[in-house]
Amino acid sequence: MEDALVIQKMSKRFGGLRAVQDVSFSVKKGETVALIGPNGAGKTTSFNLITGFHRPDSGSIRALGREIVGLRPHDVCAQGLARTFQVAKPFGAMTVQANVMTGAFLRNKSVDVAREKASEVIEFVGLSAKEQTPARDLTTIDQRRLEMARALATQPQILLLDEVMAGLNPSEIDQAVALIGKLSERGLTIVIVEHVMRAIMAVARHIVVLDHGQKIAEGNPREIVENPEVVRAYLGSAHVATPGETGA
Amino acid sequence: MMFGISTRVWLLLAAGAAVLIALPLVVTSSFAIDICIRILMFSFIGVAWNLMGGYAKQLSLGHAAYFGLGAYTSTIMQINYGISPWIGMVAGGVVAMLASLPIGWLCFRLRGPYFTIATIATAQALMLIFLKFRDFAWGAEGTTIPNLGNAPLMMQFEEKAGYYYVALGLLALGLAITYQMEKSWMGYYLVAIGEDEDAAEAIGVNAPRIKRDIYLISSFLTALAGTFYTQYIYFIDPATAFSFNISIEAALVSIVGGIGTLWGPVIGTILLETTSALLQSWLGSSLGGVQLTVYSLILMAVILWRPTGLMGIMTEWYQRLFRRRSVQT
Repeated sequence: MEDALVIQKMSKRFGGLRAVQDVSFSVKKGETVALIGPNGAGKTTSFNLITGFHRPDSGSIRALGREIVGLRPHDVCAQGLARTFQVAKPFGAMTVQANVMTGAFLRNKSVDVAREKASEVIEFVGLSAKEQTPARDLTTIDQRRLEMARALATQPQILLLDEVMAGLNPSEIDQAVALIGKLSERGLTIVIVEHVMRAIMAVARHIVVLDHGQKIAEGNPREIVENPEVVRAYLGSAHVATPGETGA
Repeated sequence: MMFGISTRVWLLLAAGAAVLIALPLVVTSSFAIDICIRILMFSFIGVAWNLMGGYAKQLSLGHAAYFGLGAYTSTIMQINYGISPWIGMVAGGVVAMLASLPIGWLCFRLRGPYFTIATIATAQALMLIFLKFRDFAWGAEGTTIPNLGNAPLMMQFEEKAGYYYVALGLLALGLAITYQMEKSWMGYYLVAIGEDEDAAEAIGVNAPRIKRDIYLISSFLTALAGTFYTQYIYFIDPATAFSFNISIEAALVSIVGGIGTLWGPVIGTILLETTSALLQSWLGSSLGGVQLTVYSLILMAVILWRPTGLMGIMTEWYQRLFRRRSVQT
């Protein structure tokens, strides 16, 4: 199958810190890929590089056949890449409906069309009952749903989800996993950053492991779990608490 | 239904307009009419400021820059070339728009308080420029506008009612623009930028361009008020035209009334201008500064207890009164 997202030798430094170093991976159309790694491994930075919030120092990012390095975030979004944030950023003063409509305006400036599109994706993520609730009054999981609905309203082909499960309880995680499954069935290409291993194993066919800004492994979930490098760097840190693994 | 407004609201608007139009025929006291004109003008400046400062939460304290540019453009055109201030008013608006491009380009690189400080600096810098260059703008002593008697084509009226109607027209224009914007995608984009610029960018909002565009509109409207005010008081000098008080007033009436709402600046101005005018006439000469003290007390009360402004309080009352009804609709 064709590649939706191809990242080659992407690097970013912040002062002396090499946040992301020569990272390359690609995502096939319609595939769900997970980006995992310990804290500070460079996952969120990678997302920021792909979506234009930071500019890579070097390397190439091709999305849907087009080089997107140097585009501003709104242009990246217009190219068909939408993202959510690790810390949900709802427009608090707006209702759920208005939040999602704001996303829908990217493809059509008509208020009526946007309202229709919004109500469709709000239903899809299961927020219909709270359509008129101010976003600031939502619970954590509903805020995550809203983030997804807002991103979906821009009609993306590639969806980047940054730790959408953080702070959710086990039953909420199951709901989120089901939602991501539904999105994948719709044909969306999904890149997901996640810490919840149970969720990753459930949604991702392919996993890319980062550590200290570098890619240390790549493969299907089984390969990743058995990879000694990964066990040492990431999974191992859960069992043997190594102080050096956090931070950076 | 017209422009998505119900018949009931149209009737209310028509009744309100009729009262406002009839007002100068009934109220003959020149003091009262003067207060009304000031209320209309500062409401209009507040409405212009609110487009950017209220909806998109870009807190500018430098709108005097555009007020002054509007005032000076029309006055220079009138005195040096005999061009009617009606044309000068539009020209002033265009000059203000052009000026807002580089000023916005500089200031929008900064966010939050730094943006606000930068806007103050630009207005002050413009005032200094007009103070220094005596050749084309009369320097510090300013100039009076030649009194032509009753000359509506030159925006001069013998009766204060004439100015009243000009100010009323300006306010109606500002409110109509705000209303249209609020209902369109632009309104959503502005509020989104005000809430979280990064999140807005992430869903395809070109934040720098939207901010530039709304700054253009806001400056244009503010400049119209500048021309009007100069014609009203028959005098211009840098200290009046670029007065920091204009910048403060524009922000204050909106904050007190309720930022990011259609009627907020109007309600804020009615409260603040009336209080200040009445206090000044009762106590002004005996107790200096009382007026400013009361002014600041109102502001503190609003910020402490009602950060959403008077509009917030009124919406709450309205909802309490009509709760059952609003649930049904």
